Amino acid sequence: MEENILQIRHLSKTFGTNPVLKDIDFSVSKGDVTSIIGASGSGKSTLLRCINLLEIPTSGQIFFHGGDITERGFNVPAYRAKVGMVFQSFNLFSNMTVLENCMIGQRKVLHKDRATAERTARAYLDKVGMAPYINAKPRQISGGQKQRVAIARALSMEPEVLLFDEPTSALDPQMVGEVLDVMKTLVKEGLTMIVVTHEMAFARDVSSRAVFMRDGVIWEDGAPERIFGNPEKQETREFLSRFFGV
Amino acid sequence: MVAVSNIAQLGSDIVKLWNHYGLVYLNGMWKTVSLAVICTVVGCIIGFICGILQTIPCAKTDHAAKRALLGLVRALVRIYVEVFRGTPMILQAVFVYYGLPYFTNNAVHWSSVWLAAFTVVSINTGAYMAETVRGGILSVDPGQTEGAKAIGMTHVQTMLHVILPQALRSIMPQIGNNFIINLKDTSVMFIIGYTEFFATHKAVVGATFLYFPSATIEMAGYLFMTLVSSFLLRRWEKRMDGSDSYDLATTDTLAHTSGLTRFPGGRRRAAMKGGR
Repeated sequence: MEENILQIRHLSKTFGTNPVLKDIDFSVSKGDVTSIIGASGSGKSTLLRCINLLEIPTSGQIFFHGGDITERGFNVPAYRAKVGMVFQSFNLFSNMTVLENCMIGQRKVLHKDRATAERTARAYLDKVGMAPYINAKPRQISGGQKQRVAIARALSMEPEVLLFDEPTSALDPQMVGEVLDVMKTLVKEGLTMIVVTHEMAFARDVSSRAVFMRDGVIWEDGAPERIFGNPEKQETREFLSRFFGV
Repeated sequence: MVAVSNIAQLGSDIVKLWNHYGLVYLNGMWKTVSLAVICTVVGCIIGFICGILQTIPCAKTDHAAKRALLGLVRALVRIYVEVFRGTPMILQAVFVYYGLPYFTNNAVHWSSVWLAAFTVVSINTGAYMAETVRGGILSVDPGQTEGAKAIGMTHVQTMLHVILPQALRSIMPQIGNNFIINLKDTSVMFIIGYTEFFATHKAVVGATFLYFPSATIEMAGYLFMTLVSSFLLRRWEKRMDGSDSYDLATTDTLAHTSGLTRFPGGRRRAAMKGGR
């Protein structure tokens, strides 16, 4: 049996009186590439943010290697170091250079020495094609470049799982391509990923599993070939037809 | 021509005053500048401490003890800010200077007027800076905090390495403002007998009765100090912003030297904007 890295049980999240996530059950095994698709407001970003505890779940549990991360006293920073996140708006530290962005977490959270941290940072910046830009500040590079640096920053922590929250939604088509290329490389290398995305081609062709969310619940969940080729539910079909013009 | 002869008279009076009391004026200026610099720095430190204390995150899920303690700290900071922002500094000086012996039945006095002046101006500056720093911290994009949290940084690490450096940069104009206000407002410390630049004026006119010529020297002196400060503060801000361009590193990732190509940041950004 494959090991479940993450297991989500009866997760609910309410903002005020507005239920955004309703009783979500969901688990992720090592090497899984899960795409979460759905209309805006369906709760997919909130689900991802709950997994990283950027939002505190209203109820339910999230297990990471069997330990409940929602329990009081759980070492959240240590957990976050192992579960990285890439944001729609990049969130690079604007007071640091590209290289420093990729080193600060290794230095302060993983307590690596400067030389090791720099070597790791340079290796991952090279992987995303940003090695020449190590001395640039975030404000000096383009959106696609920022997102590639943000991916390198997350990879520099050598996480077990990487969460992507609409990583290409703020980019123009050419930049979308460069970021997706980097993500495809990561898939090939076997990184466990959960990707909230509107890039249907990526969800269909690259991921190993597709999850369609609607109104705060997982509406349909399965292999991408099935979800995209022969969805069981009417709503899934309607949602996909808007993208593929059926 | 009355005006011309008046101006000539003023000129000769100023020369006379400067020949006699030049060093006294300069000493006053030095005392003003040194008090303003030290008090602005200490005030900023107080402001940062208050601002940091006020922005400690507090969730409903935290322990009741922690929430109560944070509530108490916030209330104390609030009282401090309101009291020292809401009363004139000249009165605060009198209050603090005479308050200490009064409450200790003359057992404890201020060992020097300088110390009393330093305390009052620092605490006063701190009260203003507390709000400025709080605003500076709140103005940093919340995405920066999320980015830091997402790689496992604690609240303290996030503040220290990500938020405060950015907050400091954004409140630099306000710190400069406070410094210039301090240069001028330390003049009220004459009330407890601290002989800064304005007190020099009072001493000189007491001996010479040359009120207007001395006031002219004072006006020019204060303006000189504030203009030089403005200039230096602007230069400091520019230095904090760093270079507008960056070196493109060689493609060899093992090489530690950066390459020869220079990318002018300004032109690049302009080009990108035009392209969209």
